[in-house]
Amino acid sequence: MIILFVALPLVVAAVLPLVGKVSRRVLPDLLANATLVFLLVYAAVTGRALIAGGPLLQQVTWLGEAVGIRLALDGFSLFMLVAVSLVGLAASLFAIDYMEHYGGKANYHALYLIMIAGMNGLILVNDLFGVYLFLEVAAIASYALVAFGLGHDELEAAFKYLALSVVGSSFVLAGIAVIFGMTGSLEFGAVAAALRELDAGAVVAIASALFLMGFGLKAALVPFHAWLPDAHPSAPAPISAVLSGLLIKVSGVYAMTRIFLNVFGLTPALSAVLMVLGAVSIVVAAFLALGQKDMKRMLAYSSISQVGYVVLGIGLGTPLGIAGGLFHLFNHALAKGLLFLTSGSVQHATGTRDLDEMGGLAKRMPITAAANLVGALSIAGVPPLNGFWSKLIIIIALVQAGEPVFAVIAVLASVLTLWYYLLMQRKAFFGPLNEKWAAVKEAPFWMTASTVLLALLCLGIGILFASTVATWVQPAADVLADGVQAVTGSWGF
Amino acid sequence: MTNAWYLYVFFAAALVCAGLLGLLGKRNLIKLLIAIEVIGKGVSLLLLSTGFAKGHILTAQALVITFIVVEVSLVATALALIINVYRHTKSLDVRNLAKLKG
Amino acid sequence: MIVQTALLIGVVLFSVLAIALRDVLRSAISLAVASLLLGIVFFKMNAPYAGVFEISVVAGLITVLFILTIALTRAGDEVRESRLVNWVFPLVFVAFVAVDALVMKSLLGKVPALAAGAEAGTFGEVLWKGRTFDLVGQIAVILAGVFAVLALFRKREKHD
Repeated sequence: MIILFVALPLVVAAVLPLVGKVSRRVLPDLLANATLVFLLVYAAVTGRALIAGGPLLQQVTWLGEAVGIRLALDGFSLFMLVAVSLVGLAASLFAIDYMEHYGGKANYHALYLIMIAGMNGLILVNDLFGVYLFLEVAAIASYALVAFGLGHDELEAAFKYLALSVVGSSFVLAGIAVIFGMTGSLEFGAVAAALRELDAGAVVAIASALFLMGFGLKAALVPFHAWLPDAHPSAPAPISAVLSGLLIKVSGVYAMTRIFLNVFGLTPALSAVLMVLGAVSIVVAAFLALGQKDMKRMLAYSSISQVGYVVLGIGLGTPLGIAGGLFHLFNHALAKGLLFLTSGSVQHATGTRDLDEMGGLAKRMPITAAANLVGALSIAGVPPLNGFWSKLIIIIALVQAGEPVFAVIAVLASVLTLWYYLLMQRKAFFGPLNEKWAAVKEAPFWMTASTVLLALLCLGIGILFASTVATWVQPAADVLADGVQAVTGSWGF
Repeated sequence: MTNAWYLYVFFAAALVCAGLLGLLGKRNLIKLLIAIEVIGKGVSLLLLSTGFAKGHILTAQALVITFIVVEVSLVATALALIINVYRHTKSLDVRNLAKLKG
Repeated sequence: MIVQTALLIGVVLFSVLAIALRDVLRSAISLAVASLLLGIVFFKMNAPYAGVFEISVVAGLITVLFILTIALTRAGDEVRESRLVNWVFPLVFVAFVAVDALVMKSLLGKVPALAAGAEAGTFGEVLWKGRTFDLVGQIAVILAGVFAVLALFRKREKHD
């Protein structure tokens, strides 16, 4: 019953406001988190058994009659589902304490679950229009969540985000129309088969350009990134964590790679474009991050830079490159989620995001400081943390594929990344304690607990990286490396 | 068939272009949303005419209806945002929203 | 065909007016007229359901929402649009339409297409048998919109 990944959060979201009338805080918190725990357990524990015999295809029946709901679960979608439920759960646990002073908690959890349902739907659909539809579900929920604080900055960021995001989805829809006009179908498998029969390179290139603009806007790759450094820092911390950790990857990277690699098939030209976009994002955003004084803004620029690594790895198109890119996607989701949550703890305690005002907070918030250090070192790629291994795999893949220039860019940019993360850690947590913060206390229980959970995962995956790659990342990378065969061969209904 | 398709796509492209130009140049928040709506009209015309030209009008119709539902949700959210912005700044000028820099 | 062309020209004209007019209320109304014409175009393309939706929801409901918002935000200062934009953008638009007219036909002529079998059944069957998951998506989108509006208009609890 993989439709539960979409239906359960939706049903819970629909009843939450009613529950919120009875109990303002406790029950909504409990219900929302229990839903996410269930989804995580379902995906992580039973998921691998479900796809043991190849991709699982499900045709839903309603009152004994087959209806047009067809879902597909393969290695790649399972991998994304696990990432979504894991980081989604951590951010939701964090919100128990963090969202306390915002008010409207039942409403917050309802929107949050709809966003999760949108992402899960996008991961499970197997037709092009469904991709667009669930992209919009997640996006509309996220506009409201970015503006949830109702302050001036939040509203401004949400409106800018909305305006650019709508343009992005319009491009996606235009690309879908082109493909629909050519092949007369929307289902991944049928489209892929029809495109092979047609041999229409030029028109597929037009559609690819439209998709690239649309999904590029959603993934905030560099020429299309203007909205992200506003939207992500302004949102409440758990939402920043989910937007940066998950939403840009699901609605940008996942949708793009699924369509480009599995439906269109990766051509050398497309591969080159993706790699250049990735490399430009890595470098430009890393330099922009260096100059930031606002902690969350620095993290936001860093997200653009790290998504660049993911796209660079996947764009390379070799099995190793794809595996490295996907592994980095997962690691970045964990580590960036962690860093946005710790920055939320800091903001919760001190009321500021300005790095120059902080200082010496490690003395008052030792757990948060330690968790932040783990996340920072992980993204910067310091062994033995998880981010090191994924960057290493990407760089090895680049060298093996005979792309030394990109490899050098990736290495140098990761030095730059280490530099600005150490800068952040030193300014915020180390050094003498700023007297203003003498009364600051460690963050409340759930906030600390969720950051510790993510930090432990970063450490654990770093140590057990070989088995993580083998059990989770490799099946996903295999699906992508199979290219068009993955959907034409086994996805037929 | 292609002839009719050409005509529709021509107008759809014109609508999308008009909307994008409006989105770039206008300063009133409500005008920006109207420009977004115009882009949406272009896209729905493109979708439906594509289905029409392919003889898949029923599917295309289902897609357009879903698209319209999405649009309603989007417009309601955006207008709620605009009213909130107005409560803060007492103005609809997008230039008052320049505190954050891209 | 001529009727369709005239209607489409009307759609583009009123859409451009909706963007270009200075008074917001008038531009909201021209947008509604554009939707109405587009709805008729849809009817003529044998898509009555899409036409009904376009007319009742886009020309009706969305226009009501726009006018409500305009009424609620009336007291603000008039927003002065940029002069440069008022001159340059119409020129860009005319240039685009000219290029569009010249290029689009040959461009679309190059699109290869599979010979598609005609669709069988009625609209209800296609919707229910073919695109049921869209209905789930629609429910999700409506829920998202409702909760978004509720969240943005909620009463703030005091916390300062």
